[in-house]
Amino acid sequence: MDRQVDVVVVGGGSTGCGVVRDLARRGLDTVLVEKGNLTHGTTGRMHGLLHSGGRYAVSDQKSAEECIEENMVLRDIAAHCVEETGGLFVKRPEDSEEYFQEKLEGCRACDIPAEVIDGEEARRREPYLARDVEKAIALPDGAVDPFRLCVSNAADAREHGARIETHAPVTDVLVEDGEVVGVEIEHETGPGKRVHREPGTTEEIRARHVVNATGAWAGNIGEMAGVDVEVRPSKGVMTVMNTRQVDTVINRCRPKGDADIIVPHETACILGTTDEEVDDPEDYPEEDWEVDLMIETLSELVPALEDARTLRSFWGVRPLYEPPGTGTEDPTDITRDYFLLDHGDRDDLPGMTTIVGGKLTTYRMMAESISDHVCETLGHEATCDTADAPLPGSENPARMEELMDEFGLRSPVARRSGQRLGSRADDVLDEYDPNPIVCNCESVTRAEVQDAVDEAGSDLNAVRLRTRASMGNCQGGFCTHRIASELAQEYPEPVVRDAEDELYQERWKGQRHALWGEQLSQAMLNHMLHATTMNRDGDPANLDESVDFDAFDAGAGSPDASGSGSDEAGSTGTAAADGGRATGDASADGGRATGDATADGGR
Amino acid sequence: MTRHTDDDGSAEESSEDDRGNGRGRGEPAPGVPEAGRDEQPSIFVPDDGEVPESDAVGARDSEAAAGGDDAAARAATDGGVESATGGTDSTDLDPDAYDPVDVFPGGDLDLREGADSCYKCTSCDTSCPVAEVDDEFPGPKFQGPEQWRLKRKGDHDIDESITSCSNCMRCDDACPSSVPLSQMHNEARGQFVERQMEKLSVEYIRNRLLANYRTSARLASMFPRTASFAMNFGPARWAMEKVMGIPKERDFPEFATETFREWWKARGGAKVENPDKRVAYFHGCYSNYNTPEVGKAMVRVYEHFGYEVMVPPQKCSGTPMFANGMLDDARRHAETNVENLVEAIGEGADVIASCTSCSMSLRQEYPELFDLHGIEDLAEHTFEAMEYLRIHEDLEGELDAAGGPDEERELAYHAPCHARNQGLARQAVETFRDVDGVTVEDVGDSCSGISGTYGWKEEKYEKSMEIGEEMFEHMEDAEGDVGMTECPTCAMQMEHGTGYEIEHPLQLLEDSLGA
Repeated sequence: MDRQVDVVVVGGGSTGCGVVRDLARRGLDTVLVEKGNLTHGTTGRMHGLLHSGGRYAVSDQKSAEECIEENMVLRDIAAHCVEETGGLFVKRPEDSEEYFQEKLEGCRACDIPAEVIDGEEARRREPYLARDVEKAIALPDGAVDPFRLCVSNAADAREHGARIETHAPVTDVLVEDGEVVGVEIEHETGPGKRVHREPGTTEEIRARHVVNATGAWAGNIGEMAGVDVEVRPSKGVMTVMNTRQVDTVINRCRPKGDADIIVPHETACILGTTDEEVDDPEDYPEEDWEVDLMIETLSELVPALEDARTLRSFWGVRPLYEPPGTGTEDPTDITRDYFLLDHGDRDDLPGMTTIVGGKLTTYRMMAESISDHVCETLGHEATCDTADAPLPGSENPARMEELMDEFGLRSPVARRSGQRLGSRADDVLDEYDPNPIVCNCESVTRAEVQDAVDEAGSDLNAVRLRTRASMGNCQGGFCTHRIASELAQEYPEPVVRDAEDELYQERWKGQRHALWGEQLSQAMLNHMLHATTMNRDGDPANLDESVDFDAFDAGAGSPDASGSGSDEAGSTGTAAADGGRATGDASADGGRATGDATADGGR
Repeated sequence: MTRHTDDDGSAEESSEDDRGNGRGRGEPAPGVPEAGRDEQPSIFVPDDGEVPESDAVGARDSEAAAGGDDAAARAATDGGVESATGGTDSTDLDPDAYDPVDVFPGGDLDLREGADSCYKCTSCDTSCPVAEVDDEFPGPKFQGPEQWRLKRKGDHDIDESITSCSNCMRCDDACPSSVPLSQMHNEARGQFVERQMEKLSVEYIRNRLLANYRTSARLASMFPRTASFAMNFGPARWAMEKVMGIPKERDFPEFATETFREWWKARGGAKVENPDKRVAYFHGCYSNYNTPEVGKAMVRVYEHFGYEVMVPPQKCSGTPMFANGMLDDARRHAETNVENLVEAIGEGADVIASCTSCSMSLRQEYPELFDLHGIEDLAEHTFEAMEYLRIHEDLEGELDAAGGPDEERELAYHAPCHARNQGLARQAVETFRDVDGVTVEDVGDSCSGISGTYGWKEEKYEKSMEIGEEMFEHMEDAEGDVGMTECPTCAMQMEHGTGYEIEHPLQLLEDSLGA
């Protein structure tokens, strides 16, 4: 491709999506490239807290002030991604009173609306809070859906002319005459929507400027360009509970520490987190003690967690950065602020800017500041309007309330659909009648799945992120095949099978860390359902060679059935009548005539 | 034994008074429950406007005297969960003793935990007789665990399909993972009716009338013959369907000219006195107003075995109210029932019901939905009439000795869903298996389709009959042309579908024993 675009943004997390939206709205010709799905990296692996700033009110007041400012902006422009849960910083008897006061003063200093309530009042708001919680600071924390947020940003960017390429890892940063002039990417399945089994291609995208918004991966892109970016990735675990034990964000009011937050998120609660520096953002140990720590420590705040059902756990890596020479030992002490690195100034390599650090709550502000920088570099004059222009889906929040009556959906189903789709609900839900539920746990209807398929191709994980389908308590056991079936109209069978397998595997990945109690029963039931009922552990359709069906059954009375004498032929005759089982052996070996090709052959 | 022969008129009045000052009632009589804990503030709410400690202690004098301290005495009757009513410091409470009834203010139960137990296997949906015939009905899994999991604080919308659940409670039995399905359904239905149902709608008024059958029946039985005629008078039925949505196909049950309680009073109460073997009979509304012969059979059979029968004042068990989401009504009636039955238990009696839905309600729904003082005790001491005899008496030996009824009997027996849930589905067949001259044929495990008030709704009538189809066919195929069942509304459906006369197993028992 010879045409030169204005800007390539590398990284489809919250920052990259924010930047591409901002630049596109300012009229620049922009491309976003992301190696996986949108939110593939850190953005999709966070607890979904919309910070009020309270967490940083003592240690990092600049971040705190930015958080409260952006918190209010997102409530406006991204109403359909935000749940205004409110938050509490709760104090247990052993927590320091002095710190509690510092926290309160910090909030006031940063203009974060904060109110002290006593333990009784805190329990009135959140009945499952521990009985010895003494008091709490109430402030405007919230829950934000990072998937929906990124997808909406990308959608708006596209509406303003940007191109979004997912599953397109950068394989090289093009440097010519001491200047970055673009990137080379590999389309895993060709450009555009991802469709399994389509051949891969590579593409050079030449651009006047490259923005490296790859977070914890920023060092890798830097390396391709020949510059050092010292990101210090730090992992943290998040554990997903099956239901919402709390409807408010619960923070432990103490200086710092692991396992100190519970975020109600959609139908679930997310417990977080740990903070451990790792070498490689792609490859780090996921350790059981981290999960145990979440449940044990947070049970001190909400005792019901101890016995509640856990769905899965996942890990994310923070893209922490500190300027060279700072030398902070403990990753929890590294600043959460963001840094804009112009490689022209810094490394004498013009044409590329890297953004690192920061957090989801302030993504828009970060995007604004880097877009300002890019526009200045390119000499493009335009003003930023992202703080005022609502994201697609949030144009008309009042509309959500009217939806329930309109679409004949069961009320809680309609409510959840309406919240996910926001003001797009009309367009999406109108398409299908009848509109059956595809994912029961999360009440996702066919219309929503089809809408996501339209955008994401055969990538069912992308469908999952857009709809929440398969994110409920069965973790896809009862719906991956139904979701995959929604692809069948448009895509050939092998594509559908690959897509199904990929989603099922992804769901399994997180459940490995929740295999006790109810979720173990669930996993076992899922396994039996898929392995035996659907035969997915030995499906002939997935075998490389074709199946020798004659070996199963040559039909009743066939003289040479399985070719081993008249006795055998007799039992094969029976098998033909009862679905492939040699009844004579059934009682002895649990229903399977082992060693007999008539029953088990073909595997 | 005349203590309990007061007709319910007087009991009625006193409890009506109680209702008037429900929250702040004064000095309760010994053994009388305090105001229900579910009407008290939740344990975490600051102590304002609750029963003063002295009153609460006064109410428990009898237990305190019986030994043990206050807390221990109460723990024994309410499942070990402390309430705020005693003025106990909430931080002393056992943090493990969470009871959903306690946790949320305003009486709402938090049953999201039940959503944790569901692993979506769908056994409940496949066992649901309504889902089988009604494509619009999403089934028990949605109504229970799924809907609960989707609900959020501030959400008050329950899907209206909850009103299509007939409360047969088969799903409870089907679940391999102990999800409290019917409890979730009852709670959801209660919320739906309270918050979303138009209180002046025909449907609400009709349902309220059906649910409060006892009230209509009490009025009707003042003029039983007139009522029996008027209720089934053609033009009147046409009007009822048009105006009230009560299907004209159904015949209203006839009202007895002498209620069971009138008979009991006239008889002079119990004929046997025996402090060692006492039972308190919960006859329910139907045996009182419509089929007193069932109640009489119960008394005669139990006296045959040497039991002293008590007939405490009582109201509706609440079954039809639960099924229609009228939880306030059910709770009011439960207060009277619990109060009087707990008193009888204190006098050494076990509680016996002849209607399997009544016993189901006292055993399961009461403790699941209400938190009245002594309600757990009541649940533990309640039995179905034949079940109790099979546990404590040599019923089969006695039947053998009696030699069977005077004339040959052939019966087509249907086990009600609520009997099934109590593990009683086979007891009638087993009890009479070896009795000379008696053939009891089980007509299968389907639901009769009426499910109390479900089949009494015009919009549900067709489905009700469709569910019952299998039972009707099996009844026709059975040798006998008399039906038998423990449940009064199943009996109505059996009669309606086949024209058979329907008996209660107690009547057959009375016959066979010559009691």
